[in-house]
This record gives sequence, C-alpha cells and structure tokens, in this order.
Amino acid sequence: MRRWPLTPRRLDWLVTAALALGTVIWLLSVEGRQGIGRDEAQYFRAGERYWGWFAELGDNLEHGHPGRSFTAADIDRYWSDNAPDHPVVMKVLYGISWRAFHTCRCMGPTRAYHPLPIRARHTTLPLFARDSTAFRFPAILFAAWLVGMVYRFARAWLPRGPSAVAAVLALAQPHFFFHAQIACFDAPIATMAFAVGFAYWKSLRDPRWGIATGLLFGVSLGVKHNAWLVPFFLVAHYLWMRRGDFRARRFPRVPLAFVAMLALGPPMFLAHWPWLWVSPVARTRAYVLRHLDHEHYNFEYLGHNFNQPPTTTAMTWLRATAPFVETGLTVPVTTLALAAVGATVLGRRRRGAPVDPESAASEAAIADRADRPSWLRPGADVDRAPGAFVLFQTLGPLSVLAVPSTPIFGGVKHFLAAMPYLALLAGIGVATLGRALRAAIPAARARLRRAAPIGLAVLVCLPALVETRRSHPDGLGHYNLLAGGFAGGASLGMNRQFWGYSVLPMLPDLDRRAPENRRLFWHDVLSDAISMYKRDGRLSLEVGDTGFGEEGIKRSELGILFYEKHWAKYEAWFWEAYGTTKPVGVRAREGVPMVTLYQRGVR
Amino acid sequence: METSATEPAPPPNRALRFPLVAAAAIALLAIVETTVALVAPSLAPTDADWVAAAAAVRAGFRPGDLIVAAPGWADPILRLHLGDLIPPEMAARMDDDRFARVWEVGQRGARAAAAKGATVARDERFGHLRVRLLERAAETVTYDFATHRADARVTWHDARGTSVACAPAGERVSCPGAGSILFHPQIVEVDQKLREALLTEPLRNGMVAIEFPAVPLGRALVIATGLHDTWMRKAARGTVAARVTVGAETTVLPVTTDDSGWTRTRIDTSARAGQVAPVRLELDSANPYDRFFAFAAEARR
Repeated sequence: MRRWPLTPRRLDWLVTAALALGTVIWLLSVEGRQGIGRDEAQYFRAGERYWGWFAELGDNLEHGHPGRSFTAADIDRYWSDNAPDHPVVMKVLYGISWRAFHTCRCMGPTRAYHPLPIRARHTTLPLFARDSTAFRFPAILFAAWLVGMVYRFARAWLPRGPSAVAAVLALAQPHFFFHAQIACFDAPIATMAFAVGFAYWKSLRDPRWGIATGLLFGVSLGVKHNAWLVPFFLVAHYLWMRRGDFRARRFPRVPLAFVAMLALGPPMFLAHWPWLWVSPVARTRAYVLRHLDHEHYNFEYLGHNFNQPPTTTAMTWLRATAPFVETGLTVPVTTLALAAVGATVLGRRRRGAPVDPESAASEAAIADRADRPSWLRPGADVDRAPGAFVLFQTLGPLSVLAVPSTPIFGGVKHFLAAMPYLALLAGIGVATLGRALRAAIPAARARLRRAAPIGLAVLVCLPALVETRRSHPDGLGHYNLLAGGFAGGASLGMNRQFWGYSVLPMLPDLDRRAPENRRLFWHDVLSDAISMYKRDGRLSLEVGDTGFGEEGIKRSELGILFYEKHWAKYEAWFWEAYGTTKPVGVRAREGVPMVTLYQRGVR
Repeated sequence: METSATEPAPPPNRALRFPLVAAAAIALLAIVETTVALVAPSLAPTDADWVAAAAAVRAGFRPGDLIVAAPGWADPILRLHLGDLIPPEMAARMDDDRFARVWEVGQRGARAAAAKGATVARDERFGHLRVRLLERAAETVTYDFATHRADARVTWHDARGTSVACAPAGERVSCPGAGSILFHPQIVEVDQKLREALLTEPLRNGMVAIEFPAVPLGRALVIATGLHDTWMRKAARGTVAARVTVGAETTVLPVTTDDSGWTRTRIDTSARAGQVAPVRLELDSANPYDRFFAFAAEARR
C-alpha cells in the first residue's frame, strides 16, 4: 500500500475540509428550525422562476430554436421577478439546488403552490426532504467556504490552532449564524467580500491572484450590491500600504487586482443578469437607484424606531453609533475581547515583522526578496500593512452603516462582511495569549506547555459556540453577555426580529386550531413563505390567509402579531376586532415575547 | 501552537505580564460567558410561575385595579394570563394616575413606572416572578373627554375671522368649505405605544376648534397629545400647535411633532374646582398633511 504522508500542506487542507464540513453539518442540522422571512420567501420564488428559464432554454435548444429564450418577453417572464432589487447569482444557485436536490412531491396536492406550472414529476437527487432545505443548501455551502477561507487566510499569519479558532469564531456568532443558513444574500456576500479581500491580499505578491481578484469581484457583484463598496476598502489599504510613494512624490502603480476588478467586474455583472440584457442602461440605472434611494424600513435601536434618516443632532449621533453598538452587543464578548487583543498586536507590530513570531511568513522575509515592484506585484517591495488591511475591511462596512442617511433596517446583516475579519483578529489574539502562556510555563513541564495554549483555544471557542446554539432559531433577538441575552436586548430596546420568520415554532399550534385557521391573519408572513411551509409539509393546505392590514384582521378568526415597535397599531386592531386584549398564545424566548396569537371570541 | 519540548522557557518578565493577565482575564471571561449562556435560559419565568402569579393577582383583584408587567415588554404574557382583567381602556390608558391599586408582576428586578411613590401592600414571589400590590394616592376622573365626544362642537376658523360649524358625519366631521376631518375615539399608536384617545386632524388655512361646552372641573385638567401612526409620522414632518382654553384662561401646549411622543400637560384648575366650564382645544398646522392628531384629556379631582 502506498503511503500518503501528512505534510503540513496536506494537514492544512485536511483542517480546512474538516472546518467546512463541520459548518455544513452544523447548519444543515439546525436550519429546519429556522423560519422563512419575507426576503427569503421571495428568493425561493425567484430562484424557482429563474430555474424555469433554464428549463425552457433546454427545451428550446432541444427543439432547435434557442433564440426564443432570449426575447425580451421571455426574459422578462422569468427574470423580472425580484428585479431590480437584487442580482441573481445566489438566486440562480438556490433554484438549481432546489431543482437538483429536492424530494419531488411536485405532482401531489402542493403542485399549485409552485410559482411556475409543474408539468411532470422532477427527476432529482433527493438529498433533502424539504424544498426549503434544498433552496438553502448553496447559502450553507457559501458559509462553509467562508469558514475554510478564514482558516486559510489566518494560516498565512498564524499557527494552526489559532487559525482554526478564527475560523470557528467566524461562524459561531449568533447573528451571522442566523443569516448563514438561509437562502438570502447577506452571509454569501460576506463570503464573497472576504474572498475578494483574500485574493487581493495574495495578489499583492502574486499576479495570478490579481486576475482571480477581478473574477471573484465580478461574482460578488452578482451576489449583492454591498460588493460595490469592497473596492473602496481595498483602495484605502492599498494607498496606505504604498504611502511611501506619496512621500517620494509619485503616484502608486495601479495594481493588477484593481485593473482586473474594473475590467472584469462590471462586464460580469451585466453578463450574469438576463433581466439587464433587455435594456442595459435603463435597467442598470433602475438597479442603482433602487439602492441609492432605498426605503428606510422600520428598525428598533436602543428604544427608538428608526424608519427615516434622523433629523435632530442627538438622534443623528445616536443613529451613527448603531453598527458599533450592535457589534458590541451581538458578537460573543470573549470573541470581542480576543479581537481587541489581536487589534493591539497588529497595532504594535513593527513594519516588516510577521503578524505572529511563529508564523512561517514574515513580511520582512518576503519583502527582502529581490522581486522588483510592479503593477503585477505591488506589494513585493513593501510591508503589506496587515493591520491596516484588517482595519479597513473591518471598519469599512461598519462605517458605511454609521452614516445616518443609510438605512439600518437589517441590523447586523448589513455589515456581516466585517465579521470574518473580526474573527481573524480574535485568532491573532488567541495566538498571542497562547504564546504567552507557553512562555510562562517552565520548559520542564513540556506536556503542560503544549496543553495550555490548546486548552485556551478550546476555552475561548466555548462561549461563542454555546451562545450561538442558545440563540437558535431566534438569532436576531439574541444579544450577548454585555446586553443580557434575549431579555437584556429587549430591555435595551433592541430589535428582536424582522420579516416574520419567527412564526415557525408556532406552526403546529396554528395547524391544530381548525376550523379557525381557515381564516388566519398572518401579519408579516409573506404568502410565498406560507406556500413554502405547505410545500415542506409543515402546514395543512387548508390553512387560510386573510390578507394584510386592518381588513385582514377584520376578516380573520385567528391571527398572529410579531413584536416590533412599529407594529403596535396592529395590536390595537386585534383588540378592536376581537374585543379582547387577551391572546391565546405567546411565543417567547427566555420570557421575551416574539409572536402573539389571538383568536376571535376567546376572552 | 507548535513547540519544542526542549525549548527553554524564558524567565517571566514584564513584557509577558500583560499577555498573561489578559489570558487569565479572557479565560475567566470565557468561563463566565459560557456559564451565563447555559444558565440564563432557566432564569426566565416558567408557565407555572405565570399561572401561580396570575392566580394570586386574581384572588386579590378589585374592579378599578391596574395590572402591569415589569419590564413592559412582558406585557403580552401578562395579558395571556390576566387579559380578561385588562380591558383595552386599561391597556391603552392615558397614564397611571387614576389607579389607587396597582398589581405589578415583575421579573429580573424590574419595576413598573406606576410603582413610583407607592407603598407596597403585598409582595410575593412565584418562581422567577414577583407580584407586588402597590397602593398610591390616586386622582378621580370627573370628566373623560373621549367618552363625551358627542358633546363636542367642532368649528373651523380662517385667518380673516370666518367661522364654520362642522357637522358630525360618522367618524368624521364635515366643515363646509374647509373639508372634513376625523374626529372619533380610537386606540391610537403614539410613539409605538397604544393609547385610547380622540383622533382628529388639523386643517389647512385655518384653525380647528373643538369645544366641550360643560366640563365639571376638578383640581386639574390633564391632556396628553401626540401624532398617531408610525407610517404617518414617517410620511410627513409637519407640526401641530395646540392651545387649551378653560373658561377664559388659555394654556399653550407643547408643539406636537413626529418626535414629541405622548406629551402630557397638567393644567391647574383648582381655583375653579367644582365649577362647570367650557373647555376648548384649538389646533393649527402649516403642514397638516398626514397629521393625525391624537389627544386624551381628563378633568380630575
């Protein structure tokens, strides 16, 4: 038998694979407990529609007239769903994953709940029992990719243990974990932003990665509009790294990575989205304006309901603190403390020194090579300024959300791209503290010297893992030790949830309440989400939906209400229509109400 | 964290002191954070706690008592267990001042605002809940404006002195030549909280006056004002100026804005206590679009 030596390189790939696989297993094992929000329900629908276009394209190819799939009418029939809101990379992947991996019961009673007519039973590889899981699978893979990348990135700076800690802490954050398992874009764009940053970092000394940066940037533009901000954070780092050029009164060379991002990004963006093809200029403009003029949805922060830019100085300042305070109250405190240590280490690092003394890659060692600087290797002759790099990638997304005119309705999800870098800082912190521990233990106690840093690494992961597990499936309502958990967050007036996802644990109860549930007011649950619950077999098909607003409540016999500040008047409508303030059920987490159930005639 | 067993340990020095202290602190933090995360869920009140607390409140409850949750966010669970004793008018009360007995069902050491200045007549624990019966000096309401909506006369006045009497039309009043406005009792949402109030609107190019002709006055007239509805507050920025005239004395109320919340004003009427007098509320706004002005008022003894 041929021996397969476990070289350090192979060991690293093994650890990477183990971390990614662990992520997939963890997320797949829990995603079924997490409900479907308004946005995710739309992306399910859009993904299935987009798949419909590919299916029709296959038919048209088979019949020899592929051009029919490229007419404006045909493109719009499929691709105008969820346009101009979001580009389509993830939604296409969700659609493909659903088509490939769902367990087809498509010709059964749920046939009518699909956004496109189902003409025949689908032949699939039925990996998942629920349609929603099949849709979510690509997002979960993206999360796994991110965890693997964090490890790989950290390995360039840190020993194996702290690198693995960084990877674990990137996932084990309640709010990131919430977004990592759903078929939306916030966790995937965090993955792509990190991938672009990683490729850019490598491109500073390796031209192959310059092209890769451009390609990854192109893909990220197709994931979510946050991608357009990534170049600003990279340019900020680049200018800092090359600040010597300014001192020498010359402008830094434009690196290959930026050229590739410019040359490949926008064309890839235009090419990937068929909806744009019909009228590229007008529709690109519509997309840009959609996000420049995005509505300020309601969001609760420190007891205030923000749904428009603040108008007073005090509120402007308060609003500006949101991303920083939200980070401080949602990321596990131990992770934050480690990140603070890591930031201190990077801040005190001497130019040319390695990030970690035990790291194989010293900035100085590489910079001493005779590589001549050029636009292909613009970091070859200088210290790459890792501290500035992590600083800009972390504070960049937070700072954008600190601008008071920026909507904050998604809370932490808007700046998730900062979180992997925060975890990277935590990894640096663990490495530093572990090294100190080892140095403090006498050499004679070799076993303890080896065990102490490992013990520390395991110990610092525990709170993040336990908090994340505790938060599920209500990650949005979870706050850290500083805030006081679910109850502390509620007392501070922090957002508990949004977009109606948190009803899922109530579905069995709602299902039991027949016949009242034939006239059920679903409040903030989108009809697409109700359809998916039915397709997933979690809700009887007979359960009704009385529609939105006051009229929906008046028509209903049974109704739910999500607790968010701005929905208060809906509760008044219940009291008036049902003649009571007494609900028949309250879904709570650790005593904090999430959803209330009212039933007409019960007093 | 690879190391060699033969590597000698450098003697502890000052440079090592900070990382070691930091390592110890973070290890301790990790232990505390993990422990709290594991223990905290069990500190929340259970259903059994709520059932026992509700039974205790029910046993001692008298009509007119106020029941509140502390912290306020637990209110839906409170109503799940005691909602039959909390009618909409109590849940959406203008303030707490007319309640002499307050049942506070608290958790996690929280106290209700209504407990301020009260004496504790009963204090019992039910698992993670604490039930306190609070007794306090209360005001008696001699006239609730919302329940006397039918008595009100609404008029519209323009800058030239023209005055138009507005006629009731269902939930609205119609002011010929000026338009029609809402005027009816409703549970309104001001500052994301529910209040039972009279809902009306200012009119463009003039002033709306709402007069209650015969109000039996007590020692004070309390009026609370605010703008109804999150979405309407988002849609417009206009402000509403309001004045209250009791007999011949006029009090200017704070300007009502999107951000002013539920603003209470207390007007001293002790000099006219026991008398019956007209009370007139005047409203005007330069930008009345989407301004749903809510007010609750009570004459109190």
